Amino acid sequence: MLDNLGTSLKDAVKKLAGKTVIDRVAVDELVRDLQRALLSADVNVKLVMQLSQAIKQRALEEEPPKGMGVREHVLRIVYQELVRLMGKPGEVALGPQTILMAGLQGSGKTTTTAKLARYFQRKGLRVGVICADTFRPGAYDQLKTLCDRISVPCFGDPNEPDALKIVREGLPKYRRLYEVIIIDTQGRHALEENLIEEIVNINEISHADHRWLVIDAALGQQASEQARRFHEAIGIDGVLVTKMDGTAKGGGALSAVAETQSGIVFIGSGETIEDLERFDPDGFISRLLGMGDLRALVERAEEAVSAEDLDVNAMLKGKFTLRDMYKQLEALNKMGPLKQIMSMLPLGGMQIPDDAYDITSTKMQRYKVIMDSMTPPELDDPSVIGSSRIQRIARGAGVMPDDVRDLIKYYKIMQRALKGMRGMSGGKFNMQRMMKKFGGPSR
Amino acid sequence: MFDSLKKKLQNIRTKFASNIEEAAGAEPEQPVAELPEGAEAVESGTPPAPPASAEAPEKEREKPTLFNRVKVLVREREVLLREKDIEEPLFELEMVLLENDVALPVTDEIIGRMRRDLVGRQRKIGSSVDDLVASTLRSALCGVLGEGLDLSRYIREHERPVKILFTGVNGTGKTTTVAKVGHYLQKNGFTVVIGAGDTFRAGAIEQIRTHADRLGIKTIQHQAGADPSAVLFDAVQYAKAHNIDVVLADTAGRFHNRANLMNQLEKIRRVMKPDLVVYVDEAVAGNDAVIRADEFNKAVGTDAVVLTKADMDPKGGAAISVAHTVGKPILFLGTGQGYDDIMPFQPRAVVNELLGDEA
Repeated sequence: MLDNLGTSLKDAVKKLAGKTVIDRVAVDELVRDLQRALLSADVNVKLVMQLSQAIKQRALEEEPPKGMGVREHVLRIVYQELVRLMGKPGEVALGPQTILMAGLQGSGKTTTTAKLARYFQRKGLRVGVICADTFRPGAYDQLKTLCDRISVPCFGDPNEPDALKIVREGLPKYRRLYEVIIIDTQGRHALEENLIEEIVNINEISHADHRWLVIDAALGQQASEQARRFHEAIGIDGVLVTKMDGTAKGGGALSAVAETQSGIVFIGSGETIEDLERFDPDGFISRLLGMGDLRALVERAEEAVSAEDLDVNAMLKGKFTLRDMYKQLEALNKMGPLKQIMSMLPLGGMQIPDDAYDITSTKMQRYKVIMDSMTPPELDDPSVIGSSRIQRIARGAGVMPDDVRDLIKYYKIMQRALKGMRGMSGGKFNMQRMMKKFGGPSR
Repeated sequence: MFDSLKKKLQNIRTKFASNIEEAAGAEPEQPVAELPEGAEAVESGTPPAPPASAEAPEKEREKPTLFNRVKVLVREREVLLREKDIEEPLFELEMVLLENDVALPVTDEIIGRMRRDLVGRQRKIGSSVDDLVASTLRSALCGVLGEGLDLSRYIREHERPVKILFTGVNGTGKTTTVAKVGHYLQKNGFTVVIGAGDTFRAGAIEQIRTHADRLGIKTIQHQAGADPSAVLFDAVQYAKAHNIDVVLADTAGRFHNRANLMNQLEKIRRVMKPDLVVYVDEAVAGNDAVIRADEFNKAVGTDAVVLTKADMDPKGGAAISVAHTVGKPILFLGTGQGYDDIMPFQPRAVVNELLGDEA
């Protein structure tokens, strides 16, 4: 379904291509498709209407900047308005703090609490968790089990019915011992007044630095209302979206963000304790709309790119040198993970080996350092690199020879992937477009 | 739970009614409005003229026999509804449905149905507009919600133990629902055993165990990490050996896009051979409700649906979406944190409540 919407949006955008004047009908169509995409992603109906009005108005009234096509212009507006709707990612300080978790029943507070504990633990902070869920049977066992796995202490008492008492007892104790304290609470919804009162009280006695609202990605139109009530009660300053590993688009979280004037802090996307990511607005928008190339487009427009840095034609002939890869890595640094870039290319379901994606930013940095230690002939023709050259390069870059071999291996994978692409149907046109995008924002 | 939808729908209904009334009113009114300009002088003398002139074009085609006149009069009093007349209220109805979490495809379907049924329909001026709109909306909603399912009767009519398997994604309230259904069945005079089939989530076994202990229901459990199929198989064996009426099988929440977990569910189904597969989802879920209900239905089948957290949301559009997608009856609504907060779902009653009367 999402694919269809993405496609229909793309079709609408396509109609704008090549036009010199903005076509009202095409804009109308685009806006309608966008509305459908957003509505089926569970974004609040009123927000969608506001947003689409704004886009329509800007698209029809604003002059496209020089050198930018109508299509790019409209897409940029769409993107900018979406980014505005989404707000900035919420701030996460890596220092001593108390975090209060709030949310509806079954939204994933307890699991997320453990994931958060893990996150801060990995950042080198001492973390303690307080289980203030005194209602749901097994809640303490659940949190305790999860915390035990990562050796994080968990304060709580399954036989104590008073959540406030637990917080009152546990907090001073943990404040002395730990830097980050996360308070898990019972699930509640906005219509349960005594429970709302409870969390207001917990918030008061805990003096929590942050009050984060946990939102299930599948939550529908109700998100706005719930977020508003929570916000009124305790002042939400961050939203955590959970269950993003399902097929839900998380539009409800957007409503919550808009309602609380906060930002999304983390995204939960899996069942293991490591499956917690910092929020990336671009990835989120891509998912929401089912199309990925909005951000690159905007960057392309804003950076006034020249593609000369990257010899597309040489690459098309299969001549892909380390030099190209260097530039590519630089470009990637700006554009985000490779997988995301690949996903926005018009290649359909083409298979790229997973190894090719498996490159982290630190690794990328190291590769660049290694390549800086290479001579021009080596960069132009990597096949001359033998073991003695590897030794030299490793010494020059201050890395192990294995790292250099690693780089060569990665280069070979990329080379093979590109060769494979060349044989793909879709022909040269697609390929060239892709390459342009690849090298696009490299300057 | 349907309060807000109900209120909105009633607004829409009056809107429809007034638009249709306008459409109906437009024909006779036009001549009246035009008259003063051309025929000011005649005004005082011939007030009944306008209706006559409105009917004139039609009349001319018929011979003015007494019989035809009566026939025409009858025909003239019918109004043909045009798409234009109902476009605005239809759009509004669409927004109302969307705002109430009725998923987009389902909304489209309802709107489409309304449009099909209303456009081109002839309506006698005398008959109530309200009835027309209400009956159209009613048939559209009834078509979407389907028939209910009476669990007690189902159990009485089937060989025991009746095995009920609960499925669904994470955090929809399966475990709580199992406990509530257990309590409900006990109250209705059935004996129940619960199989603690969620061996994955930390604390899940303790959770269902605590519930069951409070309700005085026997739980069959293995340790965490055990094969859920084995646990549930044991639960069925236990029920057979002890002449227990119903086996309620809890399972771990899983996402429909995880092939391995769905296969595991398939295996559970193979091993315990449930009589009913009950899919649990939350009433606050948005459009994804449709996708995952569909996926679960495809993977392991669904015989009935339980919608939880209906108290969170006075809207309840997801009920309409899920019921429509799966095409299976909704068994219960979960409406709160207590064991009694579960309510058998009767579509007819819901539709009646939504539309406010039994027109």
